[in-house]
Amino acid sequence: MRLHYDQATEDFRAELRAWLEANRPQPEEMSREPSQSSAHLPPWARTWQRRLFDAGWLVPGWPPELGGRNATPVQQMVYFEEFAGSRLPRALNPQGLSIVTPSLIDFGSEEQKQRFALPSLRAEITWCLGMSEPGAGSDLAGLSTRAELADDGFVVNGQKVWTSGAQHADYCLCFVRTDPDAPKHKGISVLIVDMRSPGITIRPLPQLTDPKQADFNEVFFASVVVPRENLLGPLHGGWSIAGGSLAHERGMLWIDQASSLERTVGRFIELAAQALPDGRRLADNAVVRDQLAQLYIDAQALKFMGYHGFATFARQHVSPEHSVLKLFGTELERRLFLTMTEALGAAAIDVSTPTGRRARDEGPTAVRYLRSFAGTIAAGTSEIQRNIIAERVLGLPRR
Amino acid sequence: MDFAFSDEQTALRSSARAMLERHCSTAVVRDLVERGIAPEPLWARMVGLDWPALAITESAGGVGQGFIEVAVLVEELGRVIAPGPFLATVTQFAPLVRECGTPEQRDRFLRAVATGATGTLAISGPAGDWRPERAALTARPRPGGGWLLDGSVHHVLDGGAAEIAVVARLDAGSDGDGIAAFVVPRGAARSEPVQTLDLSRPVTTLRFESLTVPDERVLGTPGRCAAGVGRAVEEATVALALEMVGTCQRIFDTVLDYAKAREQFGVAIGSFQAIKHKFADMFVALERARATAYFAALTIAEDDERRTLAASMAKVAAGDCARLLAQEGIQTMGGIGYTWEHDMQLFAKRAKQGELLLGTSAQHRQRVAELIGLTADASTAVTAPVPA
Repeated sequence: MRLHYDQATEDFRAELRAWLEANRPQPEEMSREPSQSSAHLPPWARTWQRRLFDAGWLVPGWPPELGGRNATPVQQMVYFEEFAGSRLPRALNPQGLSIVTPSLIDFGSEEQKQRFALPSLRAEITWCLGMSEPGAGSDLAGLSTRAELADDGFVVNGQKVWTSGAQHADYCLCFVRTDPDAPKHKGISVLIVDMRSPGITIRPLPQLTDPKQADFNEVFFASVVVPRENLLGPLHGGWSIAGGSLAHERGMLWIDQASSLERTVGRFIELAAQALPDGRRLADNAVVRDQLAQLYIDAQALKFMGYHGFATFARQHVSPEHSVLKLFGTELERRLFLTMTEALGAAAIDVSTPTGRRARDEGPTAVRYLRSFAGTIAAGTSEIQRNIIAERVLGLPRR
Repeated sequence: MDFAFSDEQTALRSSARAMLERHCSTAVVRDLVERGIAPEPLWARMVGLDWPALAITESAGGVGQGFIEVAVLVEELGRVIAPGPFLATVTQFAPLVRECGTPEQRDRFLRAVATGATGTLAISGPAGDWRPERAALTARPRPGGGWLLDGSVHHVLDGGAAEIAVVARLDAGSDGDGIAAFVVPRGAARSEPVQTLDLSRPVTTLRFESLTVPDERVLGTPGRCAAGVGRAVEEATVALALEMVGTCQRIFDTVLDYAKAREQFGVAIGSFQAIKHKFADMFVALERARATAYFAALTIAEDDERRTLAASMAKVAAGDCARLLAQEGIQTMGGIGYTWEHDMQLFAKRAKQGELLLGTSAQHRQRVAELIGLTADASTAVTAPVPA
């Protein structure tokens, strides 16, 4: 147990920090051409990711041919700390880098790795993830999009929803039912679907904060033909990919959230100590002081819980215990914005300040409160996380 | 930040757990709670294993380990709600002497601790305020030598300890920081046992009426002790938080076993989602408290500048956890949790009493607010320390 890393680890940090400083995209180009969805890469983003790949800084735990440098788990943690601190985007197509590519590497044929995984790492193609459906949200195994094997490949019919970045993605890693007669976990396969295929209709679903901003989409498949060689892993064997695809370095993504929350709490504390335009000083209110102190402690605690979890159960992989970080972190983020919205009172209903699309760190407080539901709902709601903790960590019976 | 225990620390935990499971069952706890039988054999065993000597320097006859080793032991002691003088001696008396005493005093008092002498700390008034500047007693120089102590000091753990480290305020207008510390022997002050919520952790009220303390028992220099007392109390606070984590873990394990075994409507009650979600929330509270407590332990072990803030954060998180676990521990057990005969009441009371001693969560949140620059009066804000 110790507070500080050894010199070799700090040398690794210094090397990364210097590299980031020398190679980072410039703020002007980033703000001139903002990314429009989680699968849209403006030219600067493609250049940036390619640079990370070539230098072995894209996925440091992987070997050099996959954009890494065989970094140790502790080095990987330092890597995420530095990225979080730099506030630079690491992956503009996060589902592509953190979910799809690892799945392709773990389950794909050599040909699929060359054709899909490497171009993803080099930012030549982007991905959406076809998991949720109108009838299969938390209960993913209940999905009903059908794929029937015909002479010229699979024929896909059905609908996906909450598909992030579908309107910009080149490909979809799509979970489909290939055996309707098997038990629901055993009849699922995974297909690589070209999003320009005939028969695909995409309807953006703007989020509650702005009718002009959509990351989510509905995706309709009408007799979409998918070549047989685009099957990932075994036929009817898709369920293990669903589980496996969520492993890997996602195990360290809490660092980014903890860092962001720490920053936001810090800014609210500064705000509370200053006089607002209406003359109030929020820190004069004992209730606000108490609540902000608790939020400060919780943002710190999230970080300690992450490091503690890293040391005791996870190293770089996702385990059921990560549900604790997901649950606590996302509920904390929501409580943070709720607390500040209520502290501001009626002043918070003026949301005329412009808001950025992906801006977790900017925008009016009340809007950020609404945006925080993305955390408590996406990737398994808080209620599902509680079930996972109870059943898979604590061993309570499923019923 | 690396939270991985060394092999030696892991071995210390497992040997401590094995010893305590064997020699500190709840029968030992009930001997004290129901029959007033002090756990002398348990304490003798701890002394035999050099536990009180663990963090005392080798030059003073100790083992020379650090605070993380103490933290591991204290968490294990909390798990079995061990009664006896360990917490007061090792995490309250010894740190105060170490932080405030002269080299000769450190040698004299800590060498005795290393061989099994007991000690405790007396600081707070009836409201339990743990901050040195709110110390309950007052001290003034005695004409002709020594010092005079007056007042009543509350919530003294293990009031029967051989030596009592006492914190007192000096008269306004005296030189220095206004804080002094003394060591008084057992029996010097009038001792009034309190009937406590947690009978396994008795506390005492000590009353001083112009008690004379000779110079050799005046720690360091009166009026120069505020920082040392603050540091000692931080250490005591973090140790208490760790003990609470251990006790909360015991509550959690007990009630989890129960939820898996107890059947109603033909199924284990742990299969009901209302119960599952309670467990998930308890688990989060425990992880939060444990991680925050060990961070604080690290700041003590490495004497990091964040230790004051970290100690208060640890007590907040441990207090929040204890509040939830003591409550849901009893509630989830149903009727059996409401009985004297089930051990849950012992665990819940220990956790609850810990929550209330050395500052409640609300009091420590107030302290955290001050430390991060949130005060009602902008001019008194303290500069926020660099976050971890």
